[in-house]
Amino acid sequence: MRVWKKHVREVELDNVYVWQWPVRVTHWLNAIAIWVLSVTGVYIGYPMLIASGAASDNFLMGWARAIHFYTAIVFTLSVLSRIAWMFMGNWYSRWHRLVPASKARWRAMRRTFRYYMFGMRMPPGFVGHNPLAGLTYAFVFLAYLAMIVTGLTMYGTSAHVDSPLRIFAGLAPFLGGLQTARWIHHGVMWGIWAFFVHHVYSAILMSQVEATGTVESIFSGHKFVPREDIIKPGYRFEHPEA
Amino acid sequence: MEERQSWLNEELERRGVTRREFAGFCGVMATVLALPKAAGARIAEAIQTREKPTLVWLEFQDCAGNTESFLRSGRPTVADIVLDTLSVDYHETIMAAAGHQAEEALAGVVRDKPGGYIAVVEGSIPTGANGAYCTIGGRSALDIAREVCEGAAATIAIGTCAAFGGLPAAAPNPTGALSVADAVPRAKNLINLPACPANAENLVGVIVYYLTFNRFPPTDRYRRPLFAYGKSIHDNCERRAHYDAGQYVEAWGDEGHRTGYCLYKMGCKGPVTFQNCPNVGWNSGTNWPIGCGHPCIGCAEPDFWDTMTPFYSHMAGFPGFGVHSSIDRVGLWATAGVAAAFATHGFVQLGKRYMHARAENNDSEPEEPAAPATSSGKGADE
Repeated sequence: MRVWKKHVREVELDNVYVWQWPVRVTHWLNAIAIWVLSVTGVYIGYPMLIASGAASDNFLMGWARAIHFYTAIVFTLSVLSRIAWMFMGNWYSRWHRLVPASKARWRAMRRTFRYYMFGMRMPPGFVGHNPLAGLTYAFVFLAYLAMIVTGLTMYGTSAHVDSPLRIFAGLAPFLGGLQTARWIHHGVMWGIWAFFVHHVYSAILMSQVEATGTVESIFSGHKFVPREDIIKPGYRFEHPEA
Repeated sequence: MEERQSWLNEELERRGVTRREFAGFCGVMATVLALPKAAGARIAEAIQTREKPTLVWLEFQDCAGNTESFLRSGRPTVADIVLDTLSVDYHETIMAAAGHQAEEALAGVVRDKPGGYIAVVEGSIPTGANGAYCTIGGRSALDIAREVCEGAAATIAIGTCAAFGGLPAAAPNPTGALSVADAVPRAKNLINLPACPANAENLVGVIVYYLTFNRFPPTDRYRRPLFAYGKSIHDNCERRAHYDAGQYVEAWGDEGHRTGYCLYKMGCKGPVTFQNCPNVGWNSGTNWPIGCGHPCIGCAEPDFWDTMTPFYSHMAGFPGFGVHSSIDRVGLWATAGVAAAFATHGFVQLGKRYMHARAENNDSEPEEPAAPATSSGKGADE
């Protein structure tokens, strides 16, 4: 008895190039940057290692901050590139796969939610992001932007007088002051980690039940999907008899 | 001219301040104002030749802490004398006159010298209950502030209460307290000198700058003079090397505290607070909070009472989780909660699939006698 029985149907599988290289590169840059930023960021917030000896012989926090700031540059450019790609890339990478801009996407989102709440045995089939995942990514990008803005604000206030980043210090009053910006920067980091947990779990789950190569696709860019998902997305599993 | 030059010299002589000390003061002022040392001579000339500016000092919803800060300086300095010899025509706390006499002094300045005096405001301005929370001589603080500040050449909001609302304006702000900037939007040349209390050196700096250049110093987005509030406390801190090295005080009185390590982990708000405390010091430059082992509480920043508390922890808690919560502890548990929810989802998913697979296996058996025509062994899913 196989618990993880794949949905076996006699359908033709099409090889679809879903994730173009900028999508995959920014995905992995973000993933690595989030790890590096979190590890250095937690140290900056809670410096648990105390250096011994003379202050002049150590530069622990200095390095943590330097790595944090340089990684933040990589992260910011990666996020901005991905946002630009939402208006340049293929169908699956565009902004309307994130923001549910059509009624059909809203309806399909409800069906996907029902699947997650065990209301359906199988999720509605989509080639790219399902509408619920897409909306989650829209919020994730807002979280990224919140991190970038609060980070630049804090950096800008103490940046070198000649640094163009000083302009971001002007955002401090709109964020409720620097200490509040700091608070948001910490809180949103945990939001991103909560998303990370969901992201890995759901990717593996969908890879299992949809059997279209979801996890593999972020490495190769390709998915293998039943033709009906391409013709009429979101209906394959809802009407299995049809 | 000769007559004008004498007022300060006479005053200095009377109090036993030497020319050398006066020159030293002017040099220090040049440094405080971030001007070249040579500017000291110009400052000296200006202070001696300019006419005494008239100054009125208004106190509203406050603790008189800024007044105390001036009056209790360790020794009479040239700065005190410069302040003293300003024509302070009105100061509720320290003036000899009282009652109608005192109020007449204020009314006289406003009437006779429109645009010719400097108003210093201490304390926030309550607007709740039609201003009934603070009245002087039967008039509300708002009324007085509007009349006096709108007619002044410049207004200096001294202390965090006057500059940003401070403690009285902290949530839930029962008196509807406002800063001078919010209460008197038409005040001309408003300079904010926040801190609790404001540093006397910075007030003297602003006045000396005005006497020297006949205009007010450049300010930042919070109208704070850049010479005093241009850099964070953290960036000028004498303990900064310990911060960069990774050497922190972890408990009061521990080895690091006695060595003079960075107070970052004890809740120091130096990184988010802008003032020149590390350079100028307090009590005639004797010491300053971080210098004597206490973390900065961020008293010179807007809404400090609401955003900088708790003073002894690095980060504020999460609303509704108590004062000892921290956003990071709440965030960690929230993330753990999400992980637990998805783990539960995973188990339910597995369980349901198991039940379904078993049901499919069972279904195929009892169906067989009912439908003998179909060939046995056919699974439910094709």
